[in-house]
Amino acid sequence: MLAKALLEDCITAALGTGGDFAEVFVEDRFSNTLSMVGGKVDSSVSGREYGIGIRIFQGTNCVYAYTNDGSRESLLRVAKEAAEALPGVSGTRCLNLLKGTLPQVNLIHTLPHTIDKQRKVAIMTRAYQVAKEYDLIISQVSVRYFDEDQHVQIANSSGLLVEDRRVRTRTGITAIASKGTEKQSGTYAPGAHMGFEFYDKIDIDTYAREAARIASTMIHADYAPSDRMPVIIDNEFGGVIFHEACGHSLEATAVAKKTSVFADKIGEKIASEAVSAVDDGTIPNSWGSLNVDDEGHPTRRNLLIENGILRGYLVDMLNGRRMQAKATGNSRRQSYKFAPTSRMTNTFILPGPYSKDEIIANTEYGLFARYMGGGSVNPATGEFNFAVNEAYMVRNGKVMEPVRGASLIGKGSEILMRIDMVANNLACGQGMCGSLSGSVPTDVGQPTIRVSEITVGGRKGDK
Amino acid sequence: MDVQSFAKALFTRGRTVGFRDMEVYASSRNQFRVGVFKTEIDSYTLAESRGLMFRGLINGKMGYSFTENLADEGMETLLKDALENAAIMDGDEGEEIFTGAAPDNYTHIDAFSESLPEVPASEKIAWVKAVEEQAYALDNRVFTAQVSVGDTSGETLIMNSHGLKLSHRDNFAAGYISAVVKEGADTKQSYAFVAARDFSRFDAAKLAKEAVEEALSLLGAEPVPSGNYPVILRKDVALTFLSAFASSFSADAAQKGMSLLKGKVNERIMSEIVTIMDDPHLAERPNAAPFDAEGFPTRKKAVVEGGVLITLLHNQKTAKKEGVMSTGNAHKAAYNAPVGVAPSNFYIVPGRNCYQALLTAMGDGLVITSIQGTHAGANPVSGDFSLSAYGYLVKGGQIVRPVNQITIAGNFFAMLSDVRAIGDDLDFGVGAIGAPSLFIGSLAVAGT
Repeated sequence: MLAKALLEDCITAALGTGGDFAEVFVEDRFSNTLSMVGGKVDSSVSGREYGIGIRIFQGTNCVYAYTNDGSRESLLRVAKEAAEALPGVSGTRCLNLLKGTLPQVNLIHTLPHTIDKQRKVAIMTRAYQVAKEYDLIISQVSVRYFDEDQHVQIANSSGLLVEDRRVRTRTGITAIASKGTEKQSGTYAPGAHMGFEFYDKIDIDTYAREAARIASTMIHADYAPSDRMPVIIDNEFGGVIFHEACGHSLEATAVAKKTSVFADKIGEKIASEAVSAVDDGTIPNSWGSLNVDDEGHPTRRNLLIENGILRGYLVDMLNGRRMQAKATGNSRRQSYKFAPTSRMTNTFILPGPYSKDEIIANTEYGLFARYMGGGSVNPATGEFNFAVNEAYMVRNGKVMEPVRGASLIGKGSEILMRIDMVANNLACGQGMCGSLSGSVPTDVGQPTIRVSEITVGGRKGDK
Repeated sequence: MDVQSFAKALFTRGRTVGFRDMEVYASSRNQFRVGVFKTEIDSYTLAESRGLMFRGLINGKMGYSFTENLADEGMETLLKDALENAAIMDGDEGEEIFTGAAPDNYTHIDAFSESLPEVPASEKIAWVKAVEEQAYALDNRVFTAQVSVGDTSGETLIMNSHGLKLSHRDNFAAGYISAVVKEGADTKQSYAFVAARDFSRFDAAKLAKEAVEEALSLLGAEPVPSGNYPVILRKDVALTFLSAFASSFSADAAQKGMSLLKGKVNERIMSEIVTIMDDPHLAERPNAAPFDAEGFPTRKKAVVEGGVLITLLHNQKTAKKEGVMSTGNAHKAAYNAPVGVAPSNFYIVPGRNCYQALLTAMGDGLVITSIQGTHAGANPVSGDFSLSAYGYLVKGGQIVRPVNQITIAGNFFAMLSDVRAIGDDLDFGVGAIGAPSLFIGSLAVAGT
């Protein structure tokens, strides 16, 4: 981390032209990535990423520069070069950074670097064995283990100076089932803002079995039909639908430029009354949680939708200037190589009144999407798409045969209005979300929900 | 410390802790990018970054570590990490440090333009503003246009303890526009890109027109009824497909049981009119290089010829397992990734049909001009895909209306076995994977 005097000098140099705000972000990140294929360690890589990002605002214009040379000479040169991109001359200013203390929401017990790599391998081997032995049809299992210890220091011309440490741990398990020339895969990837104690809190066997169960179920499944129909989306990672269909369109990156379908809609009904949703970066040790965001602001629980009414957006400082809105603790970046912007943290639909069984029993015909894959959205048109990794047909209130290869498409604004039942079994799942400021860890979540109609894209023409 | 001195010192210290063969892979890049929104510069990025990866062989096991801090004290951590990482390997992976090849095995590739770094920032800003202005001027339904331009230059250096020392410089510039058009409540968006090493080839008017005209052409789009349709995958869609399933051609994926192409060399896997090349010597493309990520000389080769799989792509480790030569396709996804396998510049060879000839040959069907969500909806292990798509409805060889909110589904290899005709319009977009437009006999479409 940089000395206070050097940070002050960098900020002063960055404001050497017409800038009215400057920020320095220092990152020092240690990570371990291990991969296992067929029960053997396939690769193991450790290392250190280190760099400094300098950001300057002049009104709503923004300049960003980064380097991984942390010497005084280099930093002052980079700050000056960045400042030269802006017109104007500097006013006199006096900067005295005051180091703030942070709420430590995400307590870490066992730092990953204190754990022998053999113990990490043991977890992977266990996951491999459980998944491989689940069913003879499982032909291959790959396991990816990841941990990181990210130190950040953030200082700005308003006098803010904070340091934070983010420790994250995750294991991804992919099982492949083979039948003749066909292959199907199942994946589960639990993670947390936690140290190695994560593996005391979870049972890795459960996730390994789930990955294998999904693959071995789907290899026997016929193709999904192509049709519009009611779709029941299960809890946990099913929340990716809200993340894509709504969350991205509530980010200030789209709202400030009015390229989002939900721009200028605060106080208006954008979803059915069954839907309330939040983005909450303060949940202790959740995958998407942070003590402070990458602009140095404490994270918050932000109400997004209340009984169908739009209540708030996710706002970073720069877009906050464009929108005349306050930042909401959502400014994030993959690394020093990205200027931060408004992003999700842990985003989920709140519980409703029904049980999951009631929702299924009340559905005459439709698709039950038990485990969702990833998806994407175009915030300008609101058009989204998702892959469904594990799905079943529903007939006469009962979950029937599995079907493979389904995707769901639609428009966010339409789907939100069609959520007609919300269950009481809220759970969250972990993902990596890619957008303007890179790939960041986020939790998605929801209880089991039903959407009265979505286009299901499959390969079987009959209905 | 400069990278070469750092590497030499690292090899000396590495030997004392027990490493037999060692390699340093270092990358450094400078980047510039500027974006404009409503005549204001809304983003301006200057970047310089470097990183170094070490790998070393000890007791037959390869250990990896990396750093972005080239201070002297970083060496001990690099070696310690690499030792720990080597210790947990089994030792029968067969990964080796390349002993080197004669200089004339390396093809000279000129991937660095001396004139590009001379283009001043002011000229790039003026270009971006011109694209934006033209986009708004084209049609009053243009709601927003976001435009950016950037350039990047970099150097890759591989040094190893066998005395191999290779380096390669490259640079290129790329421009981008995203145009959103609105008519009543109907919103449509389209993109256009340009990439070249010669900035004078950046045509502002052409780029603006391409994005705006395409977005306007999509207004009023409606789904079509679900069913099986003959389909033309426009060149940019065809290359997105090839990109999503490129990992199937990796011998590493095949050996791990994660590719349907395992054991298929010399077998017919696609329509006999399909030929796919891997050409690391196309100097204009981003993955052009004389050597791969292990320092092995690269070469041009057919991967699929007349529908028959000629070879999978190999690095030294995967080649050794099958008793063949590396194809020079060792790849690192980033400087700090382990050595894997990937294509270089990878493309479907164009045919002789112009785009309109493909439409005429199809008669009635769909043209797909965009697919979304390949990261989730396309599975390279199974070859299956189900993807959100849009494009146009074609009747009697003529485009009659735009289509959206549909999915297309199938299997990548089955689809490429059903190629009826190939366009003459090979395009790489801004990347290293290219394709011409493809006329496919039938795909499952979900709509209304």
